[in-house]
Amino acid sequence: MLKKIAIDQFSELVKALLEQGLLYAPVKGTDGVNFRAIQNPADVTLDYYNTVLSPKAVFFPQSEDLIRYRIKKDTPEAQPVPLENRPAVILGVRPCDVRSFEIMDRHFLGAGVIDPYWKSKRDSTTVIGFAFDVNAAADPADFYNTFGYGAADPEGSDVFMIRADGNLLLRGMTDRGEKLLASLGCLQAGDARDEKAFDETVKKGKAVRTRSAEINDKEIAKKLVDIFDNGEFWQKVTMACIACGACTFVCPTCYCFDISDETLFKEGARKRFWDACTFTDFTLEASGHNPRPRIFQRYRQKVCHKYSYHVDKYGCISCVGCGRCIRSCPVNIDIFGIVVEAGKL
Amino acid sequence: MENPYIPMPMNVVQITTEVDTNDIKTFRLTFVNPEDEKKFKYLPGQFGELSIFGKGESPIGIASSPTDPGYVEFTVQRTGTLVGGLVTTALHDLEEGAQIGLRGPLGNSWPIDFLAGKNVVVVGGGFAFTTLRSLINYMIHPENRKRFGDITVVYGARTPGLLLYKDEMAAWQKRKDLVMHVTVDRGDANWKGREGFVPTVCKEVAPSAKNAVTVICGPPIMIKFTLPVFFDLGFSRENILTSLEMRMKCGIGKCGRCNVGNKYVCKDGPVFSLAQLEQLPRDY
Repeated sequence: MLKKIAIDQFSELVKALLEQGLLYAPVKGTDGVNFRAIQNPADVTLDYYNTVLSPKAVFFPQSEDLIRYRIKKDTPEAQPVPLENRPAVILGVRPCDVRSFEIMDRHFLGAGVIDPYWKSKRDSTTVIGFAFDVNAAADPADFYNTFGYGAADPEGSDVFMIRADGNLLLRGMTDRGEKLLASLGCLQAGDARDEKAFDETVKKGKAVRTRSAEINDKEIAKKLVDIFDNGEFWQKVTMACIACGACTFVCPTCYCFDISDETLFKEGARKRFWDACTFTDFTLEASGHNPRPRIFQRYRQKVCHKYSYHVDKYGCISCVGCGRCIRSCPVNIDIFGIVVEAGKL
Repeated sequence: MENPYIPMPMNVVQITTEVDTNDIKTFRLTFVNPEDEKKFKYLPGQFGELSIFGKGESPIGIASSPTDPGYVEFTVQRTGTLVGGLVTTALHDLEEGAQIGLRGPLGNSWPIDFLAGKNVVVVGGGFAFTTLRSLINYMIHPENRKRFGDITVVYGARTPGLLLYKDEMAAWQKRKDLVMHVTVDRGDANWKGREGFVPTVCKEVAPSAKNAVTVICGPPIMIKFTLPVFFDLGFSRENILTSLEMRMKCGIGKCGRCNVGNKYVCKDGPVFSLAQLEQLPRDY
């Protein structure tokens, strides 16, 4: 079904969503626009190109308590933190980022072990995708066309939202999305003209051009392993890297994490935190041995993991071309350029 | 939903100091909950995440054999270095009667079915002998012994005081169905056994490659010089097995830390054949 609401009534939609449970939506802060848990409907903005941080934090928070404990002399008291499974909505996810959830699902729900923290939040969350402005140029860093994604592709979202004239049009893409739309009294039914506007926006979105290259999953996967030992290439393309890890933190498909105990006096929590394969001590062993002591080795791991190992293991490249790592890099390293150049070797 | 991040509570029932430098101890653990014990089905070569709340977790190979039910043993070296050592230091400070956590069993194992029917040459160096001990005890168990051919063991340490499982080794040396070659780099006044590096001893012992597999664990330098000896003896790359070391956190193939090529060492390994290792990027 297609529903609509006037853009100036947008806060009514936000209010209605808040009544249903948790809501994550873009909020403008001093650190740019990012997804936040919403308390006040007025905080939500639709005025953004894309968020600085990816939406992955909704399912995979930067820091997440796994177990809370109390230290006693011999027998510690420990309680697993209950899994978050309250109904939630994430509103305003760009089409390329929606695809990142499917890629992360293959990892967190696949390979024979289900990650319960990812699964419970994913299962209880409805995704409302939001088209880029199809009348504006894509950010020069973006390269999502490479993976065949358009600026207004509704696939993968439960509900997909576009702007048309003075309205927001919302189409249910899954049963869950349809149910959500049916429950929101503030929405009006869309008419044939709205249907047409929606379809035209999706079509126009396909014509929005980002950087793009012919990258075949299997070919690049093999190529990167073949040039693994080409130190000259890897050192050249990563010479400027300062191993700050920003690219991995903003990335919607980087999932490496650390597990660590944080204790204050007698009480504490075992937590997991985002980690980055580009950090110096990521692979530093207790013996002092570090298989990747140099920055080029660690950046190589990042590229090979996304474009080679992930293809072998899960059947797809672990990148959606959102361009965040490129926009966030303090030294202008461009993973797209590196992969294209590697493909030519 | 099963939560693979939650450790089982374990009682520390016995702590044995293995070496004269006092930095390697064996911890015998029993299950607090009988249902955990029923679920804990493991094979030699697997590992567990030992856990002390407030300190963290450490992935450690299982040193006991499933043929000895009722407990699980881990031999742990204290790594009091700048890069960590929080958990191992806390473990070493424990007294019998304490309670700790365990997640596991994790990883693949020594390929028991592949080893069955073959002669097995076990080569170990120093502290890396723990899961090899598990394998040996598994193979020589009365119910299993006839499944395997000749068993040859070469085990070396730098000094006599650094040899692990001394009582058990002494018992093994008396057995007729197991050939033991224990060596030290440098003996002391009381040492009556063999002196020499592990690769040299392997060369002298010269086990036949016919229908044989070798299982090698030790410091990188030992492995580096031992491999050519086995190549010369005619062992194929498929029949040379080792257990890979890589920093780990989750132990279940999710956290990404031990990723090498398209493998997660914690889940696809830690046991690999040399043929498999040669398919991976040299990134470990």
